[in-house]
Amino acid sequence: MTQTINEVAIVTRQLSRSFSIRQKSEGLAASLRNFFSPVYKTVNAVCDLEMSIGRGEIIGFLGPNGAGKTTTLKMLSGLLVPSSGNIEVLGFTPFNRDHDFLKSISLVMGQKQNLWWDLPPVETFEIHRRIYGLSDEQYRTRIDELVEMLEISDCLETQTRKLSLGQRMRCELAVSLLHQPSILFLDEPTIGLDILMQKKIRSFLLDYHRRFKPTILLTSHYMDDVAALAQRVIVINHGCKIFDGRLRDLTDHMRPEKIMTVIINNGEFPCQIRDGCRLIHQEGQLYRFLVRREVVGELAACLYNTGQIADLTIEDAPLEEIIGQLFTDNGAGAAVSASGQGSTISTPAQTS
Amino acid sequence: MIQNRISQSFNAHLATLQAHFKIIFTYRGMMLIQAVRLILLPLVLAAAWLSIEKTAENPYSDADYLLYYLLVPVILNLTDSRLVFRFPMAVRDGSLSRELLKPFPPLSGYALESIANNLIQLVYLLPFTLLAGYAISDRLQLGHLNLQLLLCMLVAIVLGGLVRMLISGSISLVGFWLEDVTTLNLILNGGIWALLGGMIVPVATFPQHIRSIAEMLPYRYMLSFPIEIVTGRLSQAQILQGFAVTIFWSLFFALIMRLIWKRGLKIYAAYGG
Repeated sequence: MTQTINEVAIVTRQLSRSFSIRQKSEGLAASLRNFFSPVYKTVNAVCDLEMSIGRGEIIGFLGPNGAGKTTTLKMLSGLLVPSSGNIEVLGFTPFNRDHDFLKSISLVMGQKQNLWWDLPPVETFEIHRRIYGLSDEQYRTRIDELVEMLEISDCLETQTRKLSLGQRMRCELAVSLLHQPSILFLDEPTIGLDILMQKKIRSFLLDYHRRFKPTILLTSHYMDDVAALAQRVIVINHGCKIFDGRLRDLTDHMRPEKIMTVIINNGEFPCQIRDGCRLIHQEGQLYRFLVRREVVGELAACLYNTGQIADLTIEDAPLEEIIGQLFTDNGAGAAVSASGQGSTISTPAQTS
Repeated sequence: MIQNRISQSFNAHLATLQAHFKIIFTYRGMMLIQAVRLILLPLVLAAAWLSIEKTAENPYSDADYLLYYLLVPVILNLTDSRLVFRFPMAVRDGSLSRELLKPFPPLSGYALESIANNLIQLVYLLPFTLLAGYAISDRLQLGHLNLQLLLCMLVAIVLGGLVRMLISGSISLVGFWLEDVTTLNLILNGGIWALLGGMIVPVATFPQHIRSIAEMLPYRYMLSFPIEIVTGRLSQAQILQGFAVTIFWSLFFALIMRLIWKRGLKIYAAYGG
């Protein structure tokens, strides 16, 4: 799908960033050696990253720890200057830190904060209102909307340091969205939150996106976040992009089989196990199969027709497993063929 | 549009200053302790100078020393800058990142925090100074004081605070490269300032050849110069010359800061998440 210039929010071309990190071995002698002759190691956090994100898209930005996700977000938001390559975000070069660029973006990092620690959130909102130049009317309208959507009316006047993590996170989202950024970078926004709060945050983000259509780039280790929010995922490992496309394409490619779990009433398994169907677990009357997608319907129909099944579930492999396998395969340099539907999967050799 | 931008920027700065006031009001005890710190050393120095016998070459009488060290805590406070402590810490712990994401100059934020602290400290320092001044009023010589001198002193305080902020800012920006600038600050802004700024010895009492050096450097204008104005020993030309030297150093360090800032941002690694 080609995108016109006006439809593109973010584009990177051969984006790279490396860090020179001082090494220090254990012990006093090593410290002394290091003092006179420091040793540096170069870490290539991001290498030749190419991506294009359209306005209004929600992108899941995935990768194992140390893959380069946060480094990429920091370059996109202007915090870091790339070592090489090009970035354009809404037509701006982020590290120039144009005033209008900074007013158009927001970066929410799960454990870091924009709220003033010693003041209640309502005071931080007021400061942000004046920093971002919001009119009274804009401010009142947006605050009312955000307070209602995030259910934070009861914690606005409590010092930030006295709020719970969940309350703080919701207030953080509120302050980050007060100026209605066109682009929202979310770095692990649900980290450390309980399951209920994670659901609330996801629900809020979906609702917010539906209403205001910001472009969202989200990193998360919780696959439920990704599955619920992302229309498309970009997966990176060792700083390089290894997948860019729809989540469905990724799961279809990595795990073309469904997991079918059947509990039969009694007796032996009533249907013939044919090609494309593999038994992976059996315990009493419980049978679990890996079934190729094209065979699922036929097998399910057969089982229903026998009338002998007590329970039948058909599900995809857990996303965590699929992503984990992708990281492992990619780390081992295993060859992966490209899939269709506009998605691409790359090997490290193709991206270097 | 430029007018809008200026108006918005002023509003944003004011909001940030107000926020720092609100935070400081939470920590009143700490303010009192800091005020005591500012008073103690000048008290000791005043006692020392009053106890020694003055030579004929010394232009300062006891009354001059009393006035000088009476005003030192207030001037010291108003020209003080915490930038050199706050900014390197923000680079190290990564909190600078959240400031860089806002359409608001990060250094302004830290400078305003410093200014807010200085202004609130006056709550303790001004009453002390006025009371102390009243207690020793019979030993002070204030007959020469007029509105013009007081206004010149205020201008000198503002300019002195500005140049001190800019020097501290320049040193603090080295925090992009050095993990700790405390020692650098002690050298460039501590020991030298204490001597050539007039903390230990009023600059006006220096031997001529040392006084000439002190008058060319920025340190005198952070402390001694505003007080020298009030003692009435400076001519109008000397006052204007002092303003000019302060403005020169302010522009110099502003340029230094601009150069360091651009280079520092390029190497900033945004560690800390």
